[in-house]
Amino acid sequence: MSPLNWILISLLVLLIALFLPRVGLLAIFKTYREAKDRERVEDALKHLLDREQQGRHASPVSLAGTLDLPLARATQLIENMETQELLESRGNDLHLSSKGERWALHVVRAHRLWERFLADEARMPLEKVHREAQRREHTLTDAQLNDLDAALGHPTRDPHGDPIPTREGTLPKAEGMPITAWQADLPARIVHLEDEPAIAYQQILAAGLRLGQVIRILEKTQSRYLLSDGETEYKLAPAVASNVHVTALPESEILKREAVPLVELSHDQRGEIVMLDEAVQGFTRRRFLDLGLTPGTLIYPELKNFFGDPRAYRIRGTLIALRKDQAAQIWVKPV
Amino acid sequence: MTTEMNPNDILAKAESLRNSLSSGFRDEIVKSLYTEAEYIAKRAVKTTDNKRYDFDQKIDRLVTSPITGLPIMLILLALIIWLTVSGANVASDAIANILFGIGDIGRNFFNSLGFIPWWITGFIWDGVYLGLAWVISVMLPPMAIFFPAFTFLEDLGYLPRVAFNLDWMFKKTGAHGKQSLTMAMGFGCNAAGVIATRVIDSPRERLIAILTNNFVPCNGRFPTLIMLGTVFVAAGFSGFTSSVIAAGSVVGVVLIGVAFTFLMSWILSRTVLKGEASAFTLELPPYRKPNFGRILYTSLIDRTIFVLWRAMQTAAPAGALIWILANIHTGDSNLARVIADWLNPFGLLLGLDGVILLAYIIAIPANEIVVPTMMMVYMGAGMMIDGPSSSTAIYDLLVHGNGWTMLTAVNLMLFALLHNPCATTIMTIYKETKSLKWATLSVVITLGTAILVTLFTASTARLLGWV
Repeated sequence: MSPLNWILISLLVLLIALFLPRVGLLAIFKTYREAKDRERVEDALKHLLDREQQGRHASPVSLAGTLDLPLARATQLIENMETQELLESRGNDLHLSSKGERWALHVVRAHRLWERFLADEARMPLEKVHREAQRREHTLTDAQLNDLDAALGHPTRDPHGDPIPTREGTLPKAEGMPITAWQADLPARIVHLEDEPAIAYQQILAAGLRLGQVIRILEKTQSRYLLSDGETEYKLAPAVASNVHVTALPESEILKREAVPLVELSHDQRGEIVMLDEAVQGFTRRRFLDLGLTPGTLIYPELKNFFGDPRAYRIRGTLIALRKDQAAQIWVKPV
Repeated sequence: MTTEMNPNDILAKAESLRNSLSSGFRDEIVKSLYTEAEYIAKRAVKTTDNKRYDFDQKIDRLVTSPITGLPIMLILLALIIWLTVSGANVASDAIANILFGIGDIGRNFFNSLGFIPWWITGFIWDGVYLGLAWVISVMLPPMAIFFPAFTFLEDLGYLPRVAFNLDWMFKKTGAHGKQSLTMAMGFGCNAAGVIATRVIDSPRERLIAILTNNFVPCNGRFPTLIMLGTVFVAAGFSGFTSSVIAAGSVVGVVLIGVAFTFLMSWILSRTVLKGEASAFTLELPPYRKPNFGRILYTSLIDRTIFVLWRAMQTAAPAGALIWILANIHTGDSNLARVIADWLNPFGLLLGLDGVILLAYIIAIPANEIVVPTMMMVYMGAGMMIDGPSSSTAIYDLLVHGNGWTMLTAVNLMLFALLHNPCATTIMTIYKETKSLKWATLSVVITLGTAILVTLFTASTARLLGWV
């Protein structure tokens, strides 16, 4: 073949690779761009919704800051969204339209359902859940979300304690208040750990505080909060502590205060299961329940590994081995 | 009731009722199910004495105590492997004699017909048929011994205790204690080991078990290891001492494999499969009298025949390919030799040689045919052969005829231990994970480790002037 033929064939292949519908390079690039645009619009909607829930309104400047965009690009985005009737700008304030709000709630719902899934079923570490959900929240349709919702058993709160919007698009009010507003002497339960800003959230996790924990304020000064769960003491700066939201103890918590984790039962000491820890959800909780670890059941340690972990417990006539981490999540009353 | 209700109203009502449920209602449902079951059980089942229970407890104390537990475990594992290797030797020879005999008859029959060209006879009988016969005779007996023995321990209720004993090690590497069972299964066959990971109910830990299973040498790789252990490591000794040393070297290789399993599990659980060690729950069932009918059925039908059938599907084309490579001549050597020479520089870099690499490429379908393929190329034969019968003759052929050193032997043992899974196992990994990504990763991890490790030992040996 002559060089000319080679060139022609190469050109043809190149053209096909570029312009082929769906799998061609241009088509791939177009899909990618569309996905990116959609992500940006959805992130903007989330920001607006977030502001409105705090009782104020977003501005072009705050939007540009949150999305990390130059102001000119943000203004252009706002114009685009206005033509799509997602928002209205009144002066410097940005207001969500009802269409925009529905879409924003959809994204929030997707985000929180994903967080639930990642934490409970995929059992991803809690500090990684937010970022992963951020990546996935833009891809699901309403029908897919409903399926995910049903598969997770219609959860009402995400792993940080935030309410999940219902399929009708209503958002239950977040219960609880910042611990900085709590009466100093009553015990309280942590119902929400604010995951933004990330630095404060990291500090809360690093301190060892977790959702569902019952704490008491020991000391409250200008520079720090000293909290205790009865064993460990936690120190937090007031700015960080205001990201820990608490509520009064429900009935079941009072039960738990008289119980000990299963892991603390000594050899051949018998216990009666009081409850499974709130932090155990999804897959692990189902597994525990399947094994018969239901409240009121008698349980006692029977076998020990060379190193003390795992231990095997006798329950309902069967022998079940649990690692320390699992046994710490089962509350029993020694009998 | 006469009021009409349309489905949407009912759904809306259900939705609002669901939102008013307390968060613990699932626990309550399970609790009530258990209460009901307990009530029924109490009426139907009578327990008279606790003798059985006490007996179980005594055994449990014995097999999980630090002093007796570990030795019992090691002795049982050694016993099963010894039974498999020594028992399979006899049976393999017998089956090989029969199958190769049939091959001879077939070849003679084709020849006697007169009108069939030599290459059709060769392709069918010395290629496809020989490949099949070889894989069956080497693979079937060890599996037919190993799997029933393993299933026996499983049925007895002993295996969960092993997982219980070893869990602390797996916990440290971010894996699941039941991985010890899938590893033990891997000694029989890695494909079966991969299937056995179904007992691990958390996907993350299960993937770790799947991706590292290949570091446990299976039956198909034992012959290579034993041959090398006998011919090289134990060469200077005689009689009983030599067999002990050969066995010791094989055990050493197995331990290296176990070490790599832990290392790779640790790496995986901190990189691609990052995550918390999740719900570890392990049931320790009461000891039961094994049901021999079921043992034979599950081990022979579910495991042995299943694996053998998959292996045969890949062995036949491999046999054909080997025959073609050995019988297409260019100049005074054949295609196999040409490719081996071409691969030789890379092989030497890894402390191996071109023939070994060629044998491993051809033997992707089944590791059983690595040694016969190597022997075929070394001896310039036209089909797979057993090689010389005595170990001194093998030593002569490899060292004096083909430039092997101690390094070649050691690195071949390492390569046999660490290299990529066979086609059957890769196929099984793909079927179990339903993901091309994980199947590919399983190859990349193992082959990468094999190349890095052999390259490292070869370079070290050369730098220190040992070869």
